[in-house]
Amino acid sequence: MGNLKNSDLVEVAFWLLIAAIFFSVSFNFNQPIEIYKFGATGWPRVILILIGLAALGNLYHSLKNGSKIQKGRVGASEAPDQVNYTSVVDYLKTAWILLIPLLYAISLKPVGFYFGTPFFISLVMLAWGERRVKFILLNTLLIYSLLIILFMFILNAPLPQGNVSPFYDFSAFMLKMKTQFDQLL
Amino acid sequence: MLDNFLTGTATLFGDPFTIGIFIFGVIGGMLFGAIPGVSMLTLAAILLPFTADLSPSQGVMLFAVIYCTGTYGGAITAILFNIPGAPENAPTAFDGYPMTQKGMAGKAVGAAVLCSAVGGIASAIVMMSATEPLAQWAIMNIGPPEIFALVFFGLAVASSVGGRTIWKGWLSVLFGLLIATIGQDPVGGINRFNFGFSDLAAGIAFVPAILGFFAVSEIFVQAEKKVSGNYSAPKFSVDFPTFFELWSHKIAVVRSILVGFFCGILPGIGATLAAFMGYGEAVRWSKNKSEFGKGKLEGVISSETANNAATGAAMIPLLALGLPGGALTAMMVAVFQMHDLEPGPLVFYNSPDLIWVVFAGMFYANLSILFIGLLETKTILYLLKIPFQFLAPMILMLASIGAYISRGLVLDVIVMFAAGVIGFLLRRSGYSIPGIVLGLILGKIGEQNFAQGMQMVHYDLGTYFSRPICTILVIAGALTLLKSLHSAFFAKQVNS
Repeated sequence: MGNLKNSDLVEVAFWLLIAAIFFSVSFNFNQPIEIYKFGATGWPRVILILIGLAALGNLYHSLKNGSKIQKGRVGASEAPDQVNYTSVVDYLKTAWILLIPLLYAISLKPVGFYFGTPFFISLVMLAWGERRVKFILLNTLLIYSLLIILFMFILNAPLPQGNVSPFYDFSAFMLKMKTQFDQLL
Repeated sequence: MLDNFLTGTATLFGDPFTIGIFIFGVIGGMLFGAIPGVSMLTLAAILLPFTADLSPSQGVMLFAVIYCTGTYGGAITAILFNIPGAPENAPTAFDGYPMTQKGMAGKAVGAAVLCSAVGGIASAIVMMSATEPLAQWAIMNIGPPEIFALVFFGLAVASSVGGRTIWKGWLSVLFGLLIATIGQDPVGGINRFNFGFSDLAAGIAFVPAILGFFAVSEIFVQAEKKVSGNYSAPKFSVDFPTFFELWSHKIAVVRSILVGFFCGILPGIGATLAAFMGYGEAVRWSKNKSEFGKGKLEGVISSETANNAATGAAMIPLLALGLPGGALTAMMVAVFQMHDLEPGPLVFYNSPDLIWVVFAGMFYANLSILFIGLLETKTILYLLKIPFQFLAPMILMLASIGAYISRGLVLDVIVMFAAGVIGFLLRRSGYSIPGIVLGLILGKIGEQNFAQGMQMVHYDLGTYFSRPICTILVIAGALTLLKSLHSAFFAKQVNS
């Protein structure tokens, strides 16, 4: 196994898996195009084959040199952005940091921006390690107000309203308030 | 030329409303470029619907001004937070961010202000004097086969920058190219890799992907450090570079202006390749190559001079051929179309007023970077004093809104956060985020021009290589690639 680490094997497996999945999916749109010889699959398949080859090249590099940085790489960090985990709790904390924004994004369609955002801001601060309740509440209020003033009142930006009651009703209430404010001016 | 420029200046400053639009563009571009998580693209996307109410020259001038000042503004976030405002600011972060970590943020930002202005002004002057002849040359000599060759060359250069190994550099670029294939194919309009999501038929938009890979992944990295107790706030200083420090880099500035201008003129590539090549050339000619990437002022100077030098040049393919050089110039095409105009050679003859108002606007926008930039920089440096717990959710929220607003799709917000997670994991493993983004941007342009080029030469490689520009660029790209492969297999490695 030489200088190879488990993480190197995971990396190569990841890239080969991506290439294999996308290559198999490419059969779903493997239709000829009358005016173009290589069709819709030609370009992506070349990319997928190159990904497979580059992944194997990366494996070869790891086997030979371990995690050493290749000489002459411009702009590459000698120490990538890594933090050493010491316990399962560290992994859970990072997973939580990554999951919250994704959950917020997925919930935007049913819940909407106006209702979901204050909860998201508070949860982000909690996940980031902030424990002062007053700090969280005040900053949530401040950030939410700034966003509403800038995007709703000044820029008139259309933001997701949600499609499930009572969240949709809350968005409708906010927009009604905005209309009344506009009428006052 | 001077007469036209003066006419453009008079039109620009002769109407209070147009002056207002110019000032808004200058300040808006700088601010949105400099606020972490949003960029000039966010501002442009928000403004795009409103340009329907402006005259065509006001609308295009506004976007051109935002392009100049936003390109500079993006350097500030690259230097202070390691979040390039746009792909063309990515090489600025290579040395700018390490300078911030060393407590030299002011010096890096000061150099970015001066060099952005110098590069931009020089480019604007050359652009005004050379646009028409260059446009005529490009019309005669640049077609889809040449554009594909340019894209190939650009990707070969991009793969040699950023990743810890040539393989990781290539995997990054290829991953970007793969993401670009999601959506309809450019020839037959057949849906590819949409995995049952109808919204994915339009493909992955640049704005959410850029925000995700750069801004969100950076926030995740900092958050991880914070919860594990490894976070250290960036150091703060307002120590601008001295005149002599800048004067000692005069050759780097001139070289970057030339590199920036010639890269900027290449359709479809523009300022991003300019910045990478400006940085790459600085490394190549330096006697102390090992100091790059660790906080060397010359790295910031080269990258920022080159990308602003490309802004003027990038307008040439847009105006002469209708080919956008990046996301913002693509939005300018939309401004033209909203007014029933098509960018291309005819604009020079049908709307000379528009051309010269835009040119004058860009010249004065670059000039204002010198004055407003220095004032604004000191204010922006105070952003470093804001607690991270406050800044992070604010950035995430601005990024979410920026991702959503451009197309009004919740899917774009999901894509942005997914790109953030992927970017976070890939950064940990030493992959190149700028490489991914460049692959994503150039992928669609490359495939489309490859298909058109192959149809033009009837799939005959002999005919393809009978075009001298294609031959030169493909050989240059292949040599870049072979050199990297040679070093991957035979060169000595250094320890991490």
